[in-house]
Amino acid sequence: MVSFVVRRVAAGAVLLFVVSALSYLLLSVPDTDVGRQILGSGAPTETVAAKNRELGLDRPVPVQYADWLAHAVRGDFGTSWFTGENVVRAIATRLPVTVSLMVGVTLVTAVLSLLLGVWAGVRRGAADRLVQVLGVLGYALPGFLVTLVIVVVFAVRLGWFPAIGYIGLTESVPGWLSTITLPVASLSVAAVAGVSQQVRGAVIDVLRQDYVRTLRARGLPPSRILFRHVLRNASAPALTVLGMQFVGLLGGAVIVEQIFGLPGIGAMTVTYTTRGDIPVIMALVMVAVVGVVAVNLAVDLLVGWLNPKARTA
Amino acid sequence: MKKSTRAVTLAAFCVTAAAALTGCAGSGGKGGAGSTTLTIATMTLPQSLDPADANGSALPFFQAVYDTLLKREPDGSYSPMLATEWKYDDDRTELRLTLRDGVTFDDGTPFDAAAVKANMERFGKKAGAQAKTLKDVKSIEVVDRTHVTLKLSQPNPAMLYFLSDAAGLMANPKAFDKPGDPLKTRPDGTGPYELDSAKSAIGTRWVYTRARNYWGTRLPYENLTISYFNNETAIVNGLRTGQINAALLQAADQQAAVENDRKLSKAEQEFDFQGIVLFDRGGALVPALRDPRVRQALNHAIDRRTMLDKLRQGRGEVTSQIFGTQAAGYLKELDPHYAHDPAKARELLRQAGYASGFTLRLPRVTAIVPDALASSLQTDLNAIGVKLAWENVDAGAIRKIFTDRAYPAMVMNLGQHAVDWIGINDYVLPGVFNMFGTTDDTVRELLPRIQRAEGAQAKEDLRKLNRHLVEQAWFVPFYRMSYLHVSDGTVRVTPQSGMAVPSIYNYAPAK
Repeated sequence: MVSFVVRRVAAGAVLLFVVSALSYLLLSVPDTDVGRQILGSGAPTETVAAKNRELGLDRPVPVQYADWLAHAVRGDFGTSWFTGENVVRAIATRLPVTVSLMVGVTLVTAVLSLLLGVWAGVRRGAADRLVQVLGVLGYALPGFLVTLVIVVVFAVRLGWFPAIGYIGLTESVPGWLSTITLPVASLSVAAVAGVSQQVRGAVIDVLRQDYVRTLRARGLPPSRILFRHVLRNASAPALTVLGMQFVGLLGGAVIVEQIFGLPGIGAMTVTYTTRGDIPVIMALVMVAVVGVVAVNLAVDLLVGWLNPKARTA
Repeated sequence: MKKSTRAVTLAAFCVTAAAALTGCAGSGGKGGAGSTTLTIATMTLPQSLDPADANGSALPFFQAVYDTLLKREPDGSYSPMLATEWKYDDDRTELRLTLRDGVTFDDGTPFDAAAVKANMERFGKKAGAQAKTLKDVKSIEVVDRTHVTLKLSQPNPAMLYFLSDAAGLMANPKAFDKPGDPLKTRPDGTGPYELDSAKSAIGTRWVYTRARNYWGTRLPYENLTISYFNNETAIVNGLRTGQINAALLQAADQQAAVENDRKLSKAEQEFDFQGIVLFDRGGALVPALRDPRVRQALNHAIDRRTMLDKLRQGRGEVTSQIFGTQAAGYLKELDPHYAHDPAKARELLRQAGYASGFTLRLPRVTAIVPDALASSLQTDLNAIGVKLAWENVDAGAIRKIFTDRAYPAMVMNLGQHAVDWIGINDYVLPGVFNMFGTTDDTVRELLPRIQRAEGAQAKEDLRKLNRHLVEQAWFVPFYRMSYLHVSDGTVRVTPQSGMAVPSIYNYAPAK
């Protein structure tokens, strides 16, 4: 187990290096004029050139990257070219917002998908058809449309929740819940639709296995068969999909954070990428890669823990 | 029995949780009448809070913590702020300022003539977007503690405006030599508010609290929050729920969305104009553009009214001039100067020797030129035989346009300043938007007169200049765009002359 974790962490470190080098190269395309972006189209050419020199952009790209890497390995990601804020502090302020969103959606998705998937897989018939129709609907509806409808109905019309903004968990727990509920609900629609179908399929597959028939024949109670045997074996595909959903949520978070005006890293990625703020974008890329590696590792460990057969796979 | 107790407990929990959550709805920024907090939404991100980085629509971020030498009133007139009096000498190359006595920075450092000199010299030297505004300041002479004289290399009719804008923001000089430029995130000025760093998240939300020992008249709000959004949908939702007290809406569809909402207060303002800036009037890249008849033909080809109606739902005013309604050089009769007349345009091209047309290769930044505008312009110009070829330019690659001078013209949204000289400086004199430095005898004759005259005296020459620019078709303006100042009904917003966003002094509780 330890060697597995060490190998995965080492692979993650290599991935970080490769992604950082490629990202820096792509961000430093020769046409980008960061000085002009910062100072605006009306700034004199010589002022723009001075700004580019001040930012070190007059140096060759490999030198710029080496400089960035030397600082990054020490945890120093520099300051934003556009706002002057410390990059680590800026991301640390925004990361809890996005993490709240992603964890919230994952929990809601896990619980609802499990309930719906198991219900459909065990009951079959009308229940199964209903879950399938809901799944198709949830998947087919465009995410932005669902979000807009939710915000207009529950925030603007009914006034039950705030339409915009974020209150930190440490500031006020009810406040945090109130600001995170609608964004989580918006993102959960498609996620539940996808994962519940996986759970349903996996449950049906396991229920058809010979050993389940044997367990039934031995007179084990249905609940014991379901919770001790069926769910444990059906967990692997569901958890894998849930892990992929978690990583994919970063993309969905971009839209939801914009509509709800949440100060998370999704909205931050859009703002700073369009401006070409390399120190911030690079740090965001690193956060995303670390997140992907960590989630995949966690899913592998969890699947192994739930299903011993998977440990040898 | 046990089951029903559990159900009741669960129901009670749900009701309590729902009440607690809904009780929090809107807690993000209730403000306005009777409130102590004003929450403004913006789509402008300041580069930093160092006055050297102050620019355009980001000014309110700075006004909260720094005072300017002069205060610009909503109507564009000037009133005392850190300078109590100002006077030009006869040839308008020396501006003497009398400074307010008894004002100190947070650490007790007095605001004096030495501070003004240090601030302005630093502003001119730093690579800030507005550093150019002090290019005519040759030297700054400290006369005594409360008097300073700006010596100008030539008269600059916009100098008072600049002293009420970014160049006039005064920071504590003691912060200048500290390592790491602390002013970027920890502003130190004499303004009406202080930045509350603990509650602020730079880049997202700036929270200001009233300065304890502010020298001037207190503003109506105890706290000021400026929140950054990158889309107007969230802003409109925030206004409707009262989480945002005031904001400027620029997009026509968002303006339409709030139009019939009676709860919201609205005030319209025209500031930016949209049009084609013809850089290459000398014909270096496209020889045809050297001929005024060709430029006039381009103006006649554009169906401004249809464009305004279809693309901005009629929110604005068609125009053929770059001077805005508040400028002294503005002439109402010039707005409809170039009627949509493809036949006349084709005739003008024929007279100029371009009967078979020519190709115009223009850069396209999609944020400025969306698909509908791009195809509309292509259709209009194609109708007179001018082939418009768009080249998509990424916002990060605009160096091609301004440094490489690779394009003869560009569709832009540009401000129409109330101070004529700012517009002249930006669009008529050689510079970024006149990158080939083209001019003519009339312009050469009028500019020095305008530069040296008082505002009212210059009016006639400004109007002559405006008429000349329109007749010679230096530009192809389409329309002035209407923006909407919207408040949640609890705040009265007074638009600011010459600025798209209001100053922070322009907000008050609605009665």
